[in-house]
Amino acid sequence: MNKVITVTGGKGGVGKTFVTVNLASVLARLERKRVLIVDIDVSNPCVSTLIKSDVERRKPIKVFRPKLLNEKCVLCGECVRHCPVHALLLIPTKKLIFIETLCEGCAICLYVCPVQAITEDERTVGWINVTSERNLTRVIYGELVPGNRQEGEVMERTLEFSKQYWDNYDYVIIDTPPGTGKGIMRAIEESDLILSVTEPTRLGLHDLKKLHSLVKKVGKYEIVVLNKYGIPYGDYGEIENFVNSEGLKVYKIPYNDLAIRSYFEGKSMLEYGMKYETLKGFREIANDILL
Amino acid sequence: MIKEVVVASGKGGTGKTFISSNLAFFIRHHVNKGVICADADVEAPDLILALGGIREVIRERRFYGTKLPVIDYSVCIKCGSCVEACRFNALRMSEKGPIVDYYSCEGLGTCSLVCPVNAISFKEKAIGKIIVAKSGVNLLTVTGDLEIGESNSGRLVYELKREARDLAVKEGVNYVVVDAAPGIGCPVISSLSGADVLLVVIEPIPQSLSGARRLIEVSEKLNVNWYVILNKYDLNVEFSKDILNTFKSKVLGMIPYDFEVIVSYSKMTPLLSLKPSSSTSNALKKIFNNLFEAMK
Repeated sequence: MNKVITVTGGKGGVGKTFVTVNLASVLARLERKRVLIVDIDVSNPCVSTLIKSDVERRKPIKVFRPKLLNEKCVLCGECVRHCPVHALLLIPTKKLIFIETLCEGCAICLYVCPVQAITEDERTVGWINVTSERNLTRVIYGELVPGNRQEGEVMERTLEFSKQYWDNYDYVIIDTPPGTGKGIMRAIEESDLILSVTEPTRLGLHDLKKLHSLVKKVGKYEIVVLNKYGIPYGDYGEIENFVNSEGLKVYKIPYNDLAIRSYFEGKSMLEYGMKYETLKGFREIANDILL
Repeated sequence: MIKEVVVASGKGGTGKTFISSNLAFFIRHHVNKGVICADADVEAPDLILALGGIREVIRERRFYGTKLPVIDYSVCIKCGSCVEACRFNALRMSEKGPIVDYYSCEGLGTCSLVCPVNAISFKEKAIGKIIVAKSGVNLLTVTGDLEIGESNSGRLVYELKREARDLAVKEGVNYVVVDAAPGIGCPVISSLSGADVLLVVIEPIPQSLSGARRLIEVSEKLNVNWYVILNKYDLNVEFSKDILNTFKSKVLGMIPYDFEVIVSYSKMTPLLSLKPSSSTSNALKKIFNNLFEAMK
C-alpha cells in the first residue's frame, strides 16, 4: 500500500518544490519511509538538483514530424490547407516550408499528400529521467526540450512511466508546475491527497481558488499548505475566510530567516537542524499523512 | 509600428506580473504613450488584479479552441483506420466501434480525415474566455481565462494576443505588454511568437537561472531579442553577481526585495503609483528607461 500525494498550488513561486523537498526529507530521514518524487514541472524540473541525485536511466519522448521530399512535392498546397496548426507554409510555385515549433505531430499532412511527398519522421520533444535512490528517495522527472510545445504530452508520459516504480515506495509525491491545466488534473486524478500550496498574498489566494475548484471537480481530499506565513503585509484574513468557508484543513509554514536561507541555498531544512519552527510544519503534515 | 514586450521567466513566482503591471503603468504615465496590457497566463490570470481589478468589462467572448470528434456508429464500418492514424492514442476499438478518450484527444482531426465513410464529425468545445476590460488604474487590458483541466492554452494565448494587437491598432496605441505564463511550454511559445522584446525575470537562485536559460533558448529559436531583469537581488548577493557576470550587458537592472510589493498587490495598485519615489520604484524606472533606450 502506498500513498500518492500531489503538491500543487495554482500560482508560481508559492513554494511547491520547497514543500515537496522538505516533506520528502522528513518522511525519508525521520520516518524512514521510502519516497518516490515525480517531478512533472517539465518546463524547469529542479527537484533532482535540489536533492542532488544522479540520473541512472533516460528515455526519450518522441512525436511524429513530417519529412518533406522536395523532389516529389508538386506544390499543390493540400497539406498546408489541412494542417490545423499552420505549421506548413507554401510559397506558391516555389517551395514548401515546415515550421517545427508550430507542429503538434498530428500527421494529417502525411495522409493528405496526394503524391507521397511527405514521409514519417520523428523528433524528440522531451526526456524522462530516473535518478538513483539516495537516502531512501528516488526522483523521476520529465524534461521538455526547449522550443517544443508538447509539455502536456511530456507531463502525462512521465507520470504514466513512473507508475512502474510506485509499488516499491511508501509515498509517491508528484510535484507539479503552476497552473490548472490538463497535466495537473491528470496528477490530481492519480492521487489520494492534494497539498495545495499558497502564500498569504492576494494573487496567491486568487490562483488557489481556481485550483481548488479543479480539485473539487475531480473530487479529492485537499489540504492547504499556507507557506510564507508571517510575511509582512500579507493578506491573512481573506485566506482564513476562504479556507473556513470551504472547510479546508490548513498547515502553516512560517516565513523566517531559515526558510529563506534554505530556499536560496537550495537545501532542505533538515540539513540545518531540527529545532526550527518551520520544520515543525512539515512534521505535522507528515504525521497527518503517515501510513 | 506596434512594439510588443513580453515578460516571462522559466520559473514561476519570480515577479513577472510585478514587472509587467509596473511597465504598463510606466509607459502610460512616464513615457505618456498608450499601452494595451495582455495577460497570457491563462491558467492563473492575475495581471488585472495587479492593475486595480476590472473597472468595466468592454466585451467578453467564449473561445472555442478545441474540436471534439463525434462518431456516428450507424455509419462506422469498424475498419480501425482512425485508431491507427491517431498519434495521441486517443481512440480504441470496441464492439460498437472506436471509442474516444477525450482526455488524450488533442482535437486536431486526423481521425475524421482518414475515415473512409465520413463517420466522424466534430463539435466545437469552449475552452475559455477572452475579456477586454478597463482596469482599476484605467489601463486597457485583455485577459483570458482557461477552463480548469483544459489543454490548448497556446491557442487561447494566440487569440488573446491577436485581440490585443487589433485593439492597439484601433486605439492608435504603440505598445503591448504581455504578461506570460511561467515555464517554456505551449502558451509561452505563443506569447513569444511575433513579439519584439522578451524581458526575462530572474531571482538569484539556481532554479530560476536554469529556467531562464531554457527560456532564452526558446526565445533565440524564435528570433526574439531578450533582456534580463534581476529581481530580489539582495536575497542572495553572491549568486546575483554570478547572474550579472553571466548575462553582462543583457541585464537591464536589479531590483531589491521589498515587502511593499505585497502591499501593492493587496491594494491592487502598481508600486510606481503607490510609492512613486521609493528605492524599488526608482530601480524600476531606471530599468524601464534602459529598456526604452535599448528598443530605440
